[in-house]
Amino acid sequence: MISKKHKVLVANRGEIAMRIVQACRRLGLDFACVYTREDHASGHAALARELGGESRLFRVSSYHDANEILSVADHAKATAIHPGYGFFAEDFRFARRVTERAHPLVFIGPSWRIIRSLGDKINTKRLARSLSIPTVPGSDRPVYDELEAEEIAETLFAFQAEQGVENSVVLVKASAGGGGMGIEEIHDIDQFKTVYRRVRNYAKRQFHDEGVLIEQRIFDFNHLEVQIVADRTGSGIMHFGTRNCSVQSTGRQKRIEVAPGFRPEEIHYAFDAKKVMDDIVSFSLAMAREVGYDNVGTWEWIVSPMGQPFLMEVNTRIQVENGVSAAISRIKGAGGVDIIAEQIRLALGDSLGYDQNDITFAGVGIEYRIIAEDPANRFTPWVGRIDRFTAPGREWLKFHSHIPQDAAYLIPTEYDPNLALAIVWGRDLAEAKARGISFLDDMVLAGEDQTGASLKSNVAFLRDKTAALLHF
Amino acid sequence: MIDVKSVLEEIKAAPYEEIEIKAPHTGVVTFEVKETGVRAVAPSGAYLEKPGTLLASITRERNVKPLHAMVSGEVATIHLEHSGAFVEAGTPLLVLRHYLTKDEVVAAILRRVLHLFCAPERAKYYFIPSVDIKVKAGGCRAVTVKPGMELFIVSRMKREKPLAYDGPEGIIYAVYFQHDDNVEAGQALIGVCPENQTGLIQDVVNRVHSDWEERN
Repeated sequence: MISKKHKVLVANRGEIAMRIVQACRRLGLDFACVYTREDHASGHAALARELGGESRLFRVSSYHDANEILSVADHAKATAIHPGYGFFAEDFRFARRVTERAHPLVFIGPSWRIIRSLGDKINTKRLARSLSIPTVPGSDRPVYDELEAEEIAETLFAFQAEQGVENSVVLVKASAGGGGMGIEEIHDIDQFKTVYRRVRNYAKRQFHDEGVLIEQRIFDFNHLEVQIVADRTGSGIMHFGTRNCSVQSTGRQKRIEVAPGFRPEEIHYAFDAKKVMDDIVSFSLAMAREVGYDNVGTWEWIVSPMGQPFLMEVNTRIQVENGVSAAISRIKGAGGVDIIAEQIRLALGDSLGYDQNDITFAGVGIEYRIIAEDPANRFTPWVGRIDRFTAPGREWLKFHSHIPQDAAYLIPTEYDPNLALAIVWGRDLAEAKARGISFLDDMVLAGEDQTGASLKSNVAFLRDKTAALLHF
Repeated sequence: MIDVKSVLEEIKAAPYEEIEIKAPHTGVVTFEVKETGVRAVAPSGAYLEKPGTLLASITRERNVKPLHAMVSGEVATIHLEHSGAFVEAGTPLLVLRHYLTKDEVVAAILRRVLHLFCAPERAKYYFIPSVDIKVKAGGCRAVTVKPGMELFIVSRMKREKPLAYDGPEGIIYAVYFQHDDNVEAGQALIGVCPENQTGLIQDVVNRVHSDWEERN
């Protein structure tokens, strides 16, 4: 049992901050929250006030100022910091500073050494290859030599042909670029030289670095994840199953997650879907054991149309979509699993208290990310005022939102316009999808921008994509 | 047409600006100025290398951040109740009464004379690269704008889009936004001087320089 004397500083915002506060309450732990000027109306600030009063809430200039976060932690007499996701969640320097400063605190996440080791994508690929785990093909460092680059491109075209990809595409990217700058596609190796030279020259002009990355463009693949949960004893490393995160925006940001990753009971696949899920789980566990993983983490995979999995990366933190895995998980037969609470409990030194045989799965979970954006216009964020936002109360639904339901809310332009996460559970995929559609139909979401134009959201996109969930 | 004389009289009635100095971030506050009425001076030196009067400091994680006066003036209010206490970001600490300089008075009047091109939405604004180069090299007055000319990059939530200028042709006389700062919708981005207004602007400058007495 963990000491109830712990106090957790929640170093994040929005719905994840709210879920961390709720998990702390569930564990009987005290908490403190931070908020910025732009987030004064956010639900996480309101929840902190409601559950702990003004003394649990501190205004900061930024969620990304380590000095400030730590000074608030000291002032609030916190003993642990939960970074949530984003901001400091995968910053090993921050994790190291938290645990090694004069007044050390618990970092609720893996040890800084693990974050450093698995946060390096090249290192992760090397580790995976040393364990004979397949990884996404492509250059794992900037390439400066044209012949070497062409050779990698040829390998990638050959690989896609092997995997049954009809329209193979290889990406040529300026390695120092970002935000979509300096990226071109090639559909044929004959195009390679011209495109490579153009991108290389562009990179040299714009970024003063002519390094280029050669990668595979992922079209006809499914994106799966394995949820790992481990304690700090070194022996308790378990999994909470797989998720399918293939429904994404044009910018490759996830919009719907489904657990489990495939559903061979209801859908016919061209490969042995159960074996694929078993394989990625055992590969993920093998890597976690190899590095002595000690908190929650996600192993991200792509699966080809032929059913071949490849490791993409490891996320050494809690993910947005942890709740959809929790929705289908049972520990010793009991539902109501809270992976965030597990994360906190394990980081504070508790042992798991169960083994893999105690974890079972039931039904199907679907998580919808409800976002103010315009899917018809490359998912451009929408900014304005939310006037009404209510979700129907259903026993099969979990709804996480920082948008106040009793007052109008102006979306701050400083952060992404994520409005809510809705997690629907059903006994099978058909029921989960029917409930998902029912939820989306019954949810009320309205608002307008400065010009009086109506709110734009991705609800219709989510509804459209529900029909084909888990089909491959 | 603006009546420069009456605007000047209006400004003379309250010839100062009250600047509230807030905690830039959380931390423990120490006041260096202990009473109201103390005169603070702005940064000085050929390169503004000499900092202004040290008003207070704020410490977090053993890092001390000095809060220097950025403009000259006198301390009108001090929140000494925060002395030695932990404060949150944005907590008001002092109010500095800053008496307007000739240049500031000119700028204030020009805001009423120039054509103001305002931000259509809350976002960060940047000049497009070709204009930015001209502004950096020769100052904003080296740039002539025309209606429909692509002038800004609007950045919001990591997405960017172009914004064209809409208004009379003229030179950019003043820039009202800071690099990387959010600009509220309706706030002026630039002040443009149409060619037929240059005489009026020169009149404003001359009159202020002859009539305004600086107090700082």
